[in-house]
Amino acid sequence: MSVEAAPEAAPGAVRVYAEYDRDIHEETDVVVVGSGPSGSVVAFEIAQAGHRVVLLEEGPPLRVEDFELDASRSMARTMREAGLRATTGSVISTMQAICLGGGSVVNSAICPRPPAFVFDRWSTRFDLAQTTRADLEPHFDAVGEFLGIAPTPEAVQGQRNLLFRDGCERLGISSEPIPRNVRGCRGSGECFTGCRSHAKQSMDISYIPAAIESGAQVFTSVQVQKVRSNGSRVGGVEGQVVEPFTGRRSHRVRVDARYVVLAAGCMATPVLLQHSGSLANASGQVGRNLQFHPGVAVAGIFPEPINPQFGATQGYHSLAFLEEGFKLETLWAPAPVLAVRTPGSGAELQQRFAEISKLAVWDGIISADHSLGSVKARWRSLDPALRWNLDPRDVKTMLRALYVLSEIFFAAGAQKIMTGVRGMPDELFSLEEAEPLRSEVFPPNAMLTGGNHAFCTTRMHGDPKQGVVDEFGRCHDLDNLYIADTGIFPQCTSVNPMFTGMALARRQALQLVERL
Amino acid sequence: MIVWTLIAMIAAWAGFRLFGGYPAPEASLEVLAPREAAFLDAAAEAMFPAVGVLPISGREAELPRYVDRWLVLLPPRQKFLIRALLFLVEQATIFFPAPGPSLRRFSSLSPPAREAWLRAWGESGLGLRRLVFTSLRAVLTMGYLGHPAVLRHVHLAPLEIKTPIGPSEWLYPRAGYPPSSIEYSEADRTPPSDGTPLDLRGLLHPDYRAPEA
Repeated sequence: MSVEAAPEAAPGAVRVYAEYDRDIHEETDVVVVGSGPSGSVVAFEIAQAGHRVVLLEEGPPLRVEDFELDASRSMARTMREAGLRATTGSVISTMQAICLGGGSVVNSAICPRPPAFVFDRWSTRFDLAQTTRADLEPHFDAVGEFLGIAPTPEAVQGQRNLLFRDGCERLGISSEPIPRNVRGCRGSGECFTGCRSHAKQSMDISYIPAAIESGAQVFTSVQVQKVRSNGSRVGGVEGQVVEPFTGRRSHRVRVDARYVVLAAGCMATPVLLQHSGSLANASGQVGRNLQFHPGVAVAGIFPEPINPQFGATQGYHSLAFLEEGFKLETLWAPAPVLAVRTPGSGAELQQRFAEISKLAVWDGIISADHSLGSVKARWRSLDPALRWNLDPRDVKTMLRALYVLSEIFFAAGAQKIMTGVRGMPDELFSLEEAEPLRSEVFPPNAMLTGGNHAFCTTRMHGDPKQGVVDEFGRCHDLDNLYIADTGIFPQCTSVNPMFTGMALARRQALQLVERL
Repeated sequence: MIVWTLIAMIAAWAGFRLFGGYPAPEASLEVLAPREAAFLDAAAEAMFPAVGVLPISGREAELPRYVDRWLVLLPPRQKFLIRALLFLVEQATIFFPAPGPSLRRFSSLSPPAREAWLRAWGESGLGLRRLVFTSLRAVLTMGYLGHPAVLRHVHLAPLEIKTPIGPSEWLYPRAGYPPSSIEYSEADRTPPSDGTPLDLRGLLHPDYRAPEA
């Protein structure tokens, strides 16, 4: 490979596609691949400690002018594979962002801490003695303070969130405002297409600017294709410049580094390791154990308009059923995305669309520990081939979640609900009609599910034969290669994973700083 | 000779069925072939007929143009899969005939026959057939429910929001632009959002306002 030295970038800079006019060769202490929540935290901590760090991101930075309000165009520009990624086996749609800041730019900013039992399970089943909730508390605290994580204020909840609270109250189910990394939310409900108020503290406006201020060099529109290794240590990464949105490749990029941190996400990091000669895979666990939080949702129509346009995208949740295996929460997204689940066609479908002003959608995310899958490199591509199978035991939990959501809707005063379960009537007008969700068996393909929380494909384990990394994210096989994304979770978190990923990443970064 | 004649006749029929008889291509379409545009138009009419519940029909929403603009943005594999979906449903009347004596392709069926035929896909016992229906409906719904007239009618059109000047405004150029295009510096910083709830009676985003009479 012909590599020409580029002019030295100023310390603490961000570079973009339009600047690249030649091959790039950088040297640094730490190179971080991926600018999502975990990668950004690592880059910030390393830079703040005074070390040289290069942060590489395949997507471009997006300004508010780059956001698309139209849902399909937004997904095409901000998501890998245009937001049309799905698994084979049991079909579940899933997404991964491609832009500076990663998923934090287009998610709902939900930041709960997992309950202690999640970490207890991790510690005992996966030999991770130093990964208890108490061990991670200081890191949760630090990240929470940096991002202003706080419960969603009542003033911007909007009716569709407060009705969930009311329904829960009437049934005696605990619920609370969702803690989010948001400052000054105005209730636009537009988290999914990017926050036009800059209220959401996505990485591109929080950790990354702070990392740049501390000296980090950020290279956007750089696709990492290979981790360079001599068998016992890694020496850096190689890749190419890619044009925003088209993915057209041009100049070569090489970054030599003492330490490499892969934070490309649990669907991309295993592919990168496989492309690098089955790196870090003495355990055989790279790309295995893929888990999701498959989501199920119920849509409810209330007797009067509830102005669903207004309110925090996801403002209220209930953690009451975590030990049973599911979490309940409110949900909003652009109308065309929500409508994908609306049953029917023709005039009947239009009639349902006409009722959208009376609509609320609430969902359950399932701790589907029994449903496993895999990630493999697709032929001549860095896109992953995903396979996943929904286990009947997890289907039972999904049905239970749907029933509880139905209960909450009717307790809140809904006129009718739509569960989207094949074999049930399209619309249910009473809780009695939802009874089959409790009493009958439905096959896995009876429900339309999506799962944007994905984990475990490079899991941590105390035993090098059973995991890819140790509990500080360091690869068992390669002393100077780290992984910092949700792939290292040994099991699902039962709650939205971003905050946990960031807390683990902060701990890893601080440990890495000690080695530099 | 008879065999060859038969083969030629079948090939001619197949060729016509696949590619023939479609209206002339619309100049503004970048990706869609005339047969794909005709299919989308026919599917939109069946999925969202002009029944008066919503202000415009699927046909009036100009879904072929919407889908074409979307396809321009898709990576090659996803573009291929979406176009394969359109082809599959247009031609699938051979394998799942519509009511009536003919084997006409989907876009040549009457609107009620199209609607009934699509409904049968949505209610099919075959999971894969239902998945195809759901995928097609999702593509059409994205365009129809994203149309400004429909969004205004259901009170979901985006509002105008003033964006505070923050780090992203002075650190990053717009995607694809050079740093020299950045028009702000840190000195231009404005106060961050104070959390004032949006006023739903406020102005709509310019792209979603009703055209002036």
